[in-house]
Amino acid sequence: MTSFRNIDRSVPRLEGREKVTGKAEYVHHLRLPGMLYGKIFRSTVPHGRIKHIDVSAAAAVEGVYRVVTIDDIRTIIPHPYYGPAFHDQPVLADGKVRFAGEPVAVVIATDRRVAEEAAGLITAEYEELPAVFDEVEAMTSDVIVHDELKPAATFPDLQHLKGRSGTNVALDYKLRRGDVDAGFAAADRIFEHTFRNQQVMHTPLEPFVTVAEPGDGRMTLHTASQGPSFVRIEIARLLGWPENRVRVKVPFLGGGFGGKLYIKLEALVASLALLVQCPVKISLTMEEQFFMVTRHPCTVRIKSGVNNDGKIVARRCDVIWNGGAYADIGPRVTQKAGFTSAGPYDIENVSIDSYAVYTNRPPAGALRGFGAPQTAWAYETHMDMIADALGMDQIEFRRKNLLREGREQATGTPMRDAALDAVLDQVSTRMAWSEPVDRGTGRIRRGRGIAVGFKGITAPTTSVAMVNCYADGSCALYIGTVDMGQGSDTVMAQIAAEVLEIDAESIRVIHSDTDVTPYDMGTLGSRSTFHMGTAVLLAAKDAKNKIAELARELSLPPGNNLPLPELFRRKYGMQAGNIIGTGSFIPDYEKPEKDTGRSTKATPFWGVGASGAEVEVDTETGHFTVTKLVNVADVGVPLNPKLVQVQLSGAAIMQLGFTLTEEMIFSEGQLTNGSFADYKIPTLLDLPAEFINECVESRQNDGPFGAKGAGETSTIALSPAIGNALADAIGIRLTDLPLTPEKVFKALSDAKRLWSAGG
Amino acid sequence: MTSFDLVEPRSLEEAFRYLDPSDPAIRPFGGGTALMLMIKAQMYKPQRLVSLGRLGGRFSGISFDANACRIGAMTRFATLEHSPEIAARLPVITEAMKTLANVRVRNVATVGGNLGHADPHLDLPPIWLVLDAKVTVVNRGGERVLPVADIFSGYYETTLGNDELIAEVEVPVRQGWRSKYVKVTTRATHDWPALGLAISVQIDGHLIKDLRIVLSAAVDFPRRLLGAEAVLRGAAIDEPLLQRAGEAAAEEADMESDSRGTGDYKRHLLRAHLRRAVLALAAE
Ligand SMILES: Cc1cc2nc3c(=O)[nH]c(=O)nc-3n(C[C@H](O)[C@H](O)[C@H](O)COP(=O)(O)OP(=O)(O)OC[C@H]3O[C@@H](n4cnc5c(N)ncnc54)[C@H](O)[C@@H]3O)c2cc1C
Repeated sequence: MTSFRNIDRSVPRLEGREKVTGKAEYVHHLRLPGMLYGKIFRSTVPHGRIKHIDVSAAAAVEGVYRVVTIDDIRTIIPHPYYGPAFHDQPVLADGKVRFAGEPVAVVIATDRRVAEEAAGLITAEYEELPAVFDEVEAMTSDVIVHDELKPAATFPDLQHLKGRSGTNVALDYKLRRGDVDAGFAAADRIFEHTFRNQQVMHTPLEPFVTVAEPGDGRMTLHTASQGPSFVRIEIARLLGWPENRVRVKVPFLGGGFGGKLYIKLEALVASLALLVQCPVKISLTMEEQFFMVTRHPCTVRIKSGVNNDGKIVARRCDVIWNGGAYADIGPRVTQKAGFTSAGPYDIENVSIDSYAVYTNRPPAGALRGFGAPQTAWAYETHMDMIADALGMDQIEFRRKNLLREGREQATGTPMRDAALDAVLDQVSTRMAWSEPVDRGTGRIRRGRGIAVGFKGITAPTTSVAMVNCYADGSCALYIGTVDMGQGSDTVMAQIAAEVLEIDAESIRVIHSDTDVTPYDMGTLGSRSTFHMGTAVLLAAKDAKNKIAELARELSLPPGNNLPLPELFRRKYGMQAGNIIGTGSFIPDYEKPEKDTGRSTKATPFWGVGASGAEVEVDTETGHFTVTKLVNVADVGVPLNPKLVQVQLSGAAIMQLGFTLTEEMIFSEGQLTNGSFADYKIPTLLDLPAEFINECVESRQNDGPFGAKGAGETSTIALSPAIGNALADAIGIRLTDLPLTPEKVFKALSDAKRLWSAGG
Repeated sequence: MTSFDLVEPRSLEEAFRYLDPSDPAIRPFGGGTALMLMIKAQMYKPQRLVSLGRLGGRFSGISFDANACRIGAMTRFATLEHSPEIAARLPVITEAMKTLANVRVRNVATVGGNLGHADPHLDLPPIWLVLDAKVTVVNRGGERVLPVADIFSGYYETTLGNDELIAEVEVPVRQGWRSKYVKVTTRATHDWPALGLAISVQIDGHLIKDLRIVLSAAVDFPRRLLGAEAVLRGAAIDEPLLQRAGEAAAEEADMESDSRGTGDYKRHLLRAHLRRAVLALAAE
């Protein structure tokens, strides 16, 4: 075994010191000379035609520079609609509003508070239209959210996107394998259940923020974005400018979780800056984040044909994703999470229909897990319900059906480097599954559950990296990957350093600046370690080759140990010059076949994870505690074990919130709990007493040093593990997330199993 | 947020010059933890805030005599939290501090501001009520003393005049009484209570000689559950009694549904937690 200098080493985060001493740069802190502040005025109705907007009182406030509506935006951007899948989202509401909270106008003022006060003076009149909020209703509703569908055709995997006009369906993805009806007909038993996932939000601690700085025929955006390259392309498209006139800079991010992708505030703030010819900043409040982007509510209907020996022979999934008013990247979620929605099982006959639908809710997009946790909630709860009905052990039942290495997943893509068995085995060990459980007899009941899941990775996507060796031999890495807390700077430096035979700590990582750093699709979907990591590896190798070439050019004998600065000195006669290595990576991909969804290369690698949970339930009140939580992931070779550990625990805590406490609650389309006093994310007090996060030994053979992504894996199977534990404890199934004490109470009292004193 | 004045009077006389009985844009300022949030949310637009931070005198400090504890209105929560005398003689307060807000808020929030805010979800008001505390309110004309319960008149509403100041809280130290506060949360652990339940009892073995029960959070302002008190007062604790008390409490408490739970669920929680709290107090 090769020994490494930087790999499988918990290099402390390169930026750790800067962050804890408060010196790290965030857009939030940025102030430019002459900068003005924008404040958004939002719609109060979920669906309506705008009759009239009165900005006069706002415009009269001292310190207000200008009040802007879509008519003003049009003077800058003639077709002011954006979006990664559909060009469906107007920069400001254009004649119509489609959700309560949609931006309708903006006040620009010399002071943030003045802008805020003035925005409060704007009034708008609407002709209210009937609205649709539920994804299942939206499938057949007469209420149509978009009269016209406008596919963007930006991404190769979404090029076939047309939507179904005259409906709310933005994308329907189909997968057909074998003959599912014949499978059901032949099966011993049939099971069918429906599951629901609620709407939740990313909650980055740094809310969305963008500063636009107009120049002479140029524009610089300082923005909290996970995808600066995309922002540049899309802003250039909207403005009709060449890409080289738009510069996008991203310092550190205070969390993104998939929310800060594609265009968020950028198109709006860029237009404002061009309108007033001054730098303009918009910083959302924590509360406004609920109206920017969210996670899809999702209803999953799942039907399985199973033989008495526990073999699943057929499965049908109908998955409906509630995309809200604008598609954002929802169609891609629909496709990627659609094709894995039958679970990591070897099933001969599979039929999947996955739909992205428009409704009058705040838009939904990418969120850590990219749909996989919603579908896993369904298929892994369904699996336990079947196991219970068959009287089989839950782990045995899964083992019997698990996709093994080399077998074809439902799309036809073979499973490679996917340690499904290993993660399930390790969870089983950590949960001491073979030992008996004390479920309790009185008021307090206990139970345990497990679940396993997988996800495909967004494809095809490109990363380009550049390694620059300076004349004194020090090196910098130029990448578009955004360090948003996950530690990508550190890991990318480790990869480059390993090739260059130096220490990761000595490398400087240059942050996203599209004038300086090369293209990257985005920091999303667990892709960076694999994609950008490979590009960095190639760039470092390229630099190394060029160094060797330089040595040859200087007629040095092979294997000479002359340090790089000396090579430069001999070549240029002084401390001068650079060696620039570049690398670019795009994985193999085969577009899914339109009618069958089949593809032999649907994903560059598999995200694989299993979870186990123990719960303790107070059967008088419905309160329950997760007393133990185990998450086991296959991340390939962990390049930085400490960072992997923190990714797994962080993702698990996030999903724990989505499982137990977080839910955007609406009444007639109005969000009723849009603040952190009422939308509860978990705190340290909510963590299980026993909380284990680890990975199995594995290797992604085509990944950089054997690695693959780790940012989402522990989100996948967590919710069903807890739901299964709850069912084990109280003998009742909850099918709708989140799992709240009141739902448990209600289920217990409906089943007349509520504990009562003296009863 | 447009600008406003923050004044820091050094005497009551000066304070009253700044305060105005009829102008709601002028308010006293304790720790500001509640006011600042309302200002930032544009729910309140002040013209002048009158800080009570430099008044000193009866507005500050904690003192005990044989029968009572006196707490100045400008006493910070952190001071209550770390006071050994409070821990020894009014431990229910020390205990409540463990889950009240966070260290930053406790370092700043004041006893007077907490009462003046009159948010029904706050943890201390039901405790003051159950301890039978009184407040002294000062005004231009002099002062008045009233039970804490009489401060509250509605959801975020008090009976205080706009130029009246809470100066101090007086808590009787009652021998032989034990108290408990239960913060019942239904979402994350750290949350506003779905209901707050404070109970004080004077118990002899299994016999409840006297007691007070106060419900908060699920109602407009903290209030005693007199019906449940009547069931329990003078009775010996057993299961049927606790059941009856629970029913009485659920019956008399008018609880609305909100994002923390439906009215029905809250009534169920009230029954369960009342029973548990009485048993816990009896077992102490
Ligand atoms: C993040 C956070 C978490 C919190 N969590 C909790 C919690 O878990 N439990 C809980 O109980 N509370 C909690 N709180 C609320 C907190 O208890 C109150 O904000 C605090 O008690 C208010 O006190 P203050 O001194 O800051 O009041 P201020 O903001 O100064 O004043 C509040 C009101 O009282 C008036 N006022 C102030 N002093 C006087 C006086 N002496 N006489 C008459 N009127 C006066 C003011 O004019 C104003 O109307 C939390 C608050 C925050 C910000």
